[in-house]
Amino acid sequence: MALLKEQDQQHLRQEFAALENPVKLIVFTQPFECQYCTETRMIAEEVAALSDKISVEVYDFDNHREIAEQYNIDKIPATVIMRGGDEAKDYGIRFYGIPSGYEFSSIIEDIMLVSSGDSGLSDEVRAWASNLTEEVHMQVFVTPTCPYCPQAVILAHRLAMESDLIRGDMVEAIEFPHLSNKYHVQGVPRTVINETVHMEGAAPEIMMLGKLKEAVA
Amino acid sequence: MDLGLDLGLSNLGAAADNAYDVVIIGGGPAGTSTAIYTARADLRTLVIDKGLTAGALGITTKISNYPGVPGPISGAELVEIMRQQAESFGATFITDKVVGLDLSSDPKMVMAGTGTFTAKAVVLATGSMGRTSSVKGEEEFLGRGVSYCATCDGAFFRDQDVAVIGNNDEALEEALFLTKFAAKVYLIVPTPELKAREFLVHEITESAKVEVMLGTRLKEVIGETLVTGVRVQPRGGAEQVLPVSGAFVYLQGGKPITDYLMEQLPTSVEGCLAVDAEMQTAVPGVFAIGDLLCTHIKQAVIAAADGVIAAVAVDKYIHGRKKLQIDWN
Repeated sequence: MALLKEQDQQHLRQEFAALENPVKLIVFTQPFECQYCTETRMIAEEVAALSDKISVEVYDFDNHREIAEQYNIDKIPATVIMRGGDEAKDYGIRFYGIPSGYEFSSIIEDIMLVSSGDSGLSDEVRAWASNLTEEVHMQVFVTPTCPYCPQAVILAHRLAMESDLIRGDMVEAIEFPHLSNKYHVQGVPRTVINETVHMEGAAPEIMMLGKLKEAVA
Repeated sequence: MDLGLDLGLSNLGAAADNAYDVVIIGGGPAGTSTAIYTARADLRTLVIDKGLTAGALGITTKISNYPGVPGPISGAELVEIMRQQAESFGATFITDKVVGLDLSSDPKMVMAGTGTFTAKAVVLATGSMGRTSSVKGEEEFLGRGVSYCATCDGAFFRDQDVAVIGNNDEALEEALFLTKFAAKVYLIVPTPELKAREFLVHEITESAKVEVMLGTRLKEVIGETLVTGVRVQPRGGAEQVLPVSGAFVYLQGGKPITDYLMEQLPTSVEGCLAVDAEMQTAVPGVFAIGDLLCTHIKQAVIAAADGVIAAVAVDKYIHGRKKLQIDWN
């Protein structure tokens, strides 16, 4: 049985009519020992079926280790959203854990963003990102019932689009308790930057820029 | 299996039925008065409000000086009458919390818990019950046990004891939500009695998991890496530490509530918004009314009057009129 209702499929088909460039979803899954692997794969496949501009590839995390390493995937379920087609590009946009609840909006918005190729960030933030000389890893911890969280996730993903040195991960906090414990996550959204700096809440981009500068100082 | 994908879709705000002429944030006398006038002028009107007892009027017990309403009447009852009047003209009210705004987009976007709404004009009417200061330890442990969103963070406290601090619909609703996860919920209420809608008070007092502590103040959130307790003091009693791992704070104060604007509009030192004679802020199509302004006496009738001025200006803005048109009778 489909996860997406018929009326929601119709709505998304209309949204996806505006897609400019092809988008590829890559899902890393495993038949056993992964709580939401099946549902994460189903979400990607059902979304991809709604537009000929969206394609999906599914890999078994264990049997396709070399591909997982190529995309720097270290936990599952994982979803990569990247530009597809002849000019394929991996921006470093990742979802770790199921993109359900409010996070379903993040995956749809990411598809629209990646297809447009425009992060929509301010000139100030773009200028900072283009001058980066070291890597920035943003891990945004979320729960599916958090209405504030997609704002933080999308901001990390917009930033990832602006520089090959920036990676933006959504991390579903309840599915990865070892990471939640490691980073003392008891409230979401919480963005951890380069292991050292963190930001609570859904911050505007200019506030996040301050934290990013702190992380690479 | 319900994965809540509808939540995500509602959050995208693209649905046609989420498009309004005017979205009013705050359902007190100011916002509701705007809604009465804009709905009557055939503008598609949405009011987003946290609850009848969320604002200054909603928690006032006896009012006898509102013109035309001899009273005494409770604030919540007076607001309810105003809402019914606005609804009779076609305004829609939803109980929700605004979590973000984009005032620069066209149309403007209003993000709330249940969805994202678009609006040609936005009216800010969130009042002045924001907190002026936090208690010791609150900022330090934010995200490490201190939370303002039980829906977001409740799952981190499964089988643990937590405290909810506050006394309004939101605090009681969040305390009840937390009973799904927590082993025990202390409800710390600063005043001697609960002030929320009757059914919420009933559910709270009936819940085996909730211990209500009336007339008790929160003094400090304590912990090491994470929260380990809250120090509270009952009125006339000795301080005590409740061993909890979560502190959900819903206290109120006397500061204009503008945090959801995320600095998209400038505020004065006192935290107030500035408007022109038509209640318009620095951003065209964005209006502010009532206790968000620091320019006048904080009375319901004055907030209501602000709301009417804004409604007339909203109509002028949306229809591109050069002059105010006040012929709605």
